[in-house]
Amino acid sequence: MSMYTGVPTVKRTAVYVYQTPVRIWHWVNALAITVLAITGYLIGSPLPSLPGEASDHYLMGNIRFLHFAAGYVFLVGFLFRLYWAVVGNRYSRQLFTLPFWRRGFWSELVHELRWYAFQEPEPRKYVGHNPLAHLFMVVIITVGGLVMMVTGFALYSEQTGLGSWQDELFGWVIPAVGQSQDVRMWHHWGMWVIVVFVMLHVYTAIREDIMSRQSLISTMISGWRMFKDDRP
Amino acid sequence: MATTDTFYEAMRRQGISRRGFLQFCTITAATLGLAPGFAGRIAEAMETKPRIPVLWLHGLECTCCSESFIRSAHPLASDVVLSMISLDYNDTLMAAAGHQAEAILDEIRHQYKGRYILAVEGNPPLGQDGMSCIIGGRPFLDQLREVAADCQAVIAWGTCASWGCVQAAHPNPTQAVSIDKVIHDKPIIKVPGCPPIAEVMTGVIAYMLTFERLPELDRQGRPKMFYGQRIHDKCYRRPHFDAGQFVESWDDEGARKGYCLYKMGCKGPTTYNACSTVRWNDGVSFPIQSGHGCIGCSEKDFWDKGSFYDHVTDTRVFGIEANADAVGIAAAGTVGAAITAHAAASAVHRIKQRAGAQHTEDGQA
Amino acid sequence: MSVQTPNGFQLDTAGRRVVVDPVTRIEGHMRCEVNLDADNVIRNAVSTGTMWRGLEVILRGRDPRDAWAFTQRICGVCTGTHALTSVRAIEDALDIQIPENANSIRNIMQLTLYAHDHLVHFYHLHALDWVDVVSALKADPKATSALAQSISDWPLSSPGYFRDVQTRIKRFVESGQLGPFTNGYWGNPAYRLPPEANLLAVTHYLEALDFQKEIVKIHTIYGGKNPHPNWLVGGVPCAINIHDTGAVGAVNMERLNLVSSIIDRTIEFIDKVYLPDLMAIASFYKDWTHGGGLSSQAVLSYGDIPERANDDSSDNQCLPRGAIINGKLDEVHEVDLRDPEQIQEFVAHSWFKYKDESKGLHPWDGVTEPNFVLGPNTKGSQTRIEAIDENAKYSWIKAPRWRGHAMEVGPLARYIIGYAKGIPEFKEPVEKVLTDLQLPVSALFSTLGRTAARGLEASWAAHRLRHFQDKLVANLKAGDSATANPDKWEPRTWPKLTKGVGTTEAPRGALGHWVVIEKGKIANYQAVVPTTWNGSPRDPAGNIGAFEAALLNTPVAVPDQPLEILRTLHSFDPCLACSTH
Ligand code: HEM
Ligand code: HEM
Ligand code: NFV
Ligand code: SF4
Ligand code: SF4
Ligand code: F3S
Ligand SMILES: [Mg+2]
Repeated sequence: MSMYTGVPTVKRTAVYVYQTPVRIWHWVNALAITVLAITGYLIGSPLPSLPGEASDHYLMGNIRFLHFAAGYVFLVGFLFRLYWAVVGNRYSRQLFTLPFWRRGFWSELVHELRWYAFQEPEPRKYVGHNPLAHLFMVVIITVGGLVMMVTGFALYSEQTGLGSWQDELFGWVIPAVGQSQDVRMWHHWGMWVIVVFVMLHVYTAIREDIMSRQSLISTMISGWRMFKDDRP
Repeated sequence: MATTDTFYEAMRRQGISRRGFLQFCTITAATLGLAPGFAGRIAEAMETKPRIPVLWLHGLECTCCSESFIRSAHPLASDVVLSMISLDYNDTLMAAAGHQAEAILDEIRHQYKGRYILAVEGNPPLGQDGMSCIIGGRPFLDQLREVAADCQAVIAWGTCASWGCVQAAHPNPTQAVSIDKVIHDKPIIKVPGCPPIAEVMTGVIAYMLTFERLPELDRQGRPKMFYGQRIHDKCYRRPHFDAGQFVESWDDEGARKGYCLYKMGCKGPTTYNACSTVRWNDGVSFPIQSGHGCIGCSEKDFWDKGSFYDHVTDTRVFGIEANADAVGIAAAGTVGAAITAHAAASAVHRIKQRAGAQHTEDGQA
Repeated sequence: MSVQTPNGFQLDTAGRRVVVDPVTRIEGHMRCEVNLDADNVIRNAVSTGTMWRGLEVILRGRDPRDAWAFTQRICGVCTGTHALTSVRAIEDALDIQIPENANSIRNIMQLTLYAHDHLVHFYHLHALDWVDVVSALKADPKATSALAQSISDWPLSSPGYFRDVQTRIKRFVESGQLGPFTNGYWGNPAYRLPPEANLLAVTHYLEALDFQKEIVKIHTIYGGKNPHPNWLVGGVPCAINIHDTGAVGAVNMERLNLVSSIIDRTIEFIDKVYLPDLMAIASFYKDWTHGGGLSSQAVLSYGDIPERANDDSSDNQCLPRGAIINGKLDEVHEVDLRDPEQIQEFVAHSWFKYKDESKGLHPWDGVTEPNFVLGPNTKGSQTRIEAIDENAKYSWIKAPRWRGHAMEVGPLARYIIGYAKGIPEFKEPVEKVLTDLQLPVSALFSTLGRTAARGLEASWAAHRLRHFQDKLVANLKAGDSATANPDKWEPRTWPKLTKGVGTTEAPRGALGHWVVIEKGKIANYQAVVPTTWNGSPRDPAGNIGAFEAALLNTPVAVPDQPLEILRTLHSFDPCLACSTH
């Protein structure tokens, strides 16, 4: 049990990885995405009808408002995170960069996959993301998030109207994708991709916290990566 | 020299007073979404302008655009045809047939080179050598290209000419295409709808005659004044949408109270058209007001967006149809199950590993 | 050169070939070629449907509940009739019962279409075959007024009124821009009306153009728009709420009143303008007896306008059902749309492909596969047809047959069947027209007979509208306001494999849709449409269709001017988009 507690005493067993802004961003972002997915789902499949006068209720309006508010949080957070990737430490850049050209990355990715498939006795140690997490982070959060923001704001431009900044910046998306219904459809598919990612992400975070040779959840809380052994 | 009949004169002869005429101009201005001051300009234009030739061609279509056009109440279709434009070719209405009909196209093309308007209802098929739409023994495509060559501007009536419409729906057996795929060097005004609203059609024409310019178009080539907003943005059932009050099943309590049709598949939120404001047939009603959701009939490829009765549309990807929610829920369920199984396997694995480690320790001890 | 067709017509291709392409004032695209003998009499006729869109192909794999919207876009002129046929086919396949109010509203929609479509056809598609617009300029407005008042008490009939219209037309003609009247056949000797009758007809051409848009508002009220109102499998989409709060969001008292007032005005316009004009014009063409074609030989009707909901029996249909063959008016055959032997489609002369083109296929087994090829005797090229080769494939229309017979369908067919069955509401008006014009029964089988039957039917439909609107209100009074049955809305309630057939009498005649539904999707969809019947090309046996038969033996006054050809073709109100779909 001593492995899990206490301050690391051995040199190089703890590294400061996630700076405070990244950590705050992570949890704000997690909350925003959760709200977006739930409200988004309810926009697509609304709750059962309410009785009485229309003027007594604003349920759908509130759900949509939450969605848009969370959408703005998501956007602002993303922009901030982008800024932090420039000014923050080297690990803060991982989210936006993929060592595509590095052969080692792919072989380590295979190793990681084998670890999950119980084919390896032990995972490797990583200061930043493990390659599998890294790949998913970039593809789902950065690329996927961009897709959700672009399609989301394109849909938003429909209500702010021709000539609004949302329209000027994102209105082109609608004819580019086809028509409004197509944009919704891809936005909706995007939700499911992110939901599935989040499920896997949370599961692996907990599992690796227990099974890998390093800390994870606490890292996202304290910022420090703790290693459970001194082997390379 | 022949006298030219102006719209004002035509109306006066019909027993309409000057006051009535000006009132008409005010209504037209309002329909076009213009400030009241524009009524004067409309009146002036209609009092003085001669009639511009319009050649109205038909490709693959159902003629409902022509039918809709003749339903126009303000202006009356009869006034448009007799006094505002010179509808020299429209095979649904014209007296001449065969050679005599074809001769008109040549005549106008030469006499009014660069000064006539080409209106297209329907669209050309490219399959079957273009011979799934034959006019005068030749592909409609040829006729379309020839008449387009010398026109001033093109009006694409309806969803057929604008987007392809029903004949272009999957698998598009005739390879029908919207007209902007074959006419590249002329301004094209898309007036989509299946069909478009009559007063929108005549409104677009009246605008062009009055202001002597093409209407301002949006990114997709549609006049902003009629297609700048969605049905949903101005739908009178919108308060029920915002409140969360929906028709849940046909002819239920909600249907009888006029609740929002979103759950019955209404495409108002994704459809750009003037139905919820101008309404249909002299403002009598529009689809939603009469209890059926909007099917999105002015939108590109609206036939291929899944059932008209689902909000979350089916997607045709890689040749198979799939519903995002059905797939999403299945995927989330599968992943959830996989996670549970993987977690269990991991626990077993770990216990085994630990037991193994314990064993070695014991052995060593 | 001369051949006898199995259905009893003499064809001779010897004389001069005249081509009319495009045939105008019809819906869709059509070509017609005829051979004229030395006396300019038509001895061979070839009718070609020149468009095809492939709706039957497009429908495969779709949700059956959506099919009405697709099929409705087969035609915007007979808008709604395909949609109604489609929802009936789906309901038949899924065994869905509809509420009584839905039946009444559907009938109102269909009858509204009749009134509108027939009126527009008469004035805007057909009248110019009989009416010389230019001659109207010579009319004396006073005499026109006298003529108008002698045939009807329609109030718009003063000399000043006709003078105004005449001046307007005069100015129009003088402007040198004749618009839709450019290059018409004005002055052709086949025009027989005196200037006064021409002026009367032209005036009503304009009046009818302004009025027709009022009739369709009934569609707008119950269906949300026209053309292309909305429909629903299981009933109608418009809910009814008369008594409660929220009634303004549904069909309510104000809406019912609006429908009612439009019905009154429609009855008045048809009875006081359309019918008197029709009779007046017909009286000048009494001896133009051409164009009978198949009508005296073989006519078909499926029947329509069910009095009560969910009862498909023959006696529940206000419009008669039956088939007459071999000219035997005293024997009206039962028609069974499910019987694979009765209705079949052939493609030997159509631009489609079957495995064995000597045989016909019942629509449930129907195949739609395009195959555009021209015969060896075609003049011109593959993309520039100068004269078509009717011995090979020559039309986008399939050739439907009833027990092997080419049939004529439409208002005339319905009236002949109603007459043959001795149903008073069809028999009596026909007899009255014949006595008024002092014509024998045989005069019915002609171009004019077709045009007259349509007029009578427009009036019949307008009065029936009143009946069903009243019936709807009576049912509401009795406390039933149901408009839809949603029990089988969800596809999971459907059988794995099922098939159905739906029919209507469309304005132009018998219309059927056959559907096969498999695992919730359309596996096959076939439409056999009125103009498919009338405009049919030849079948493998050589039987000619109704258009071709009707054109035979008609003299043409000026061979370069296809006035008489248009006259007879227009009497069918051809709809080519329908015919080929
Ligand atoms: C909507 C929900 C969530 C989203 C979208 C999300 C997204 C992310 C992203 C983008 C990162 C990378 C951070 C960076 O490099 O900037 C990350 C890391 C991390 N997240 Fe989440 N997260 C979510 C929920 C959670 C939850 C609920 C947990 C804890 C149970 C969690 C635990 C972690 C951990 C431990 C890391 C660090 C992984 C590592 O060190 O490689 N996340 N997450
Ligand atoms: C992870 C991010 C997001 C998720 C999971 C998500 C999810 C969804 C879903 C499922 C829908 C319903 C689509 C439908 O079937 O109609 C929706 C609608 C919508 N979303 Fe998002 N969304 C996200 C981000 C955004 C962002 C950043 C915006 C920008 C403001 C946005 C704006 C909208 C809008 C405008 C709608 C349409 C709402 C309406 O018209 O009623 N979304 N979203
Ligand atoms: N032929 C035909 Fe139709 C009709 N009536 C329909 O079924 O016209 Ni467009
Ligand atoms: S747009 Fe629709 S209504 Fe117009 S011709 Fe095409 S199918 Fe018909
Ligand atoms: S009925 Fe349709 S357009 Fe109207 S508020 Fe509801 S979803 Fe929007
Ligand atoms: S279906 Fe079409 S008619 Fe208007 S309400 Fe929708 S755009
Ligand atoms: Mg067919």
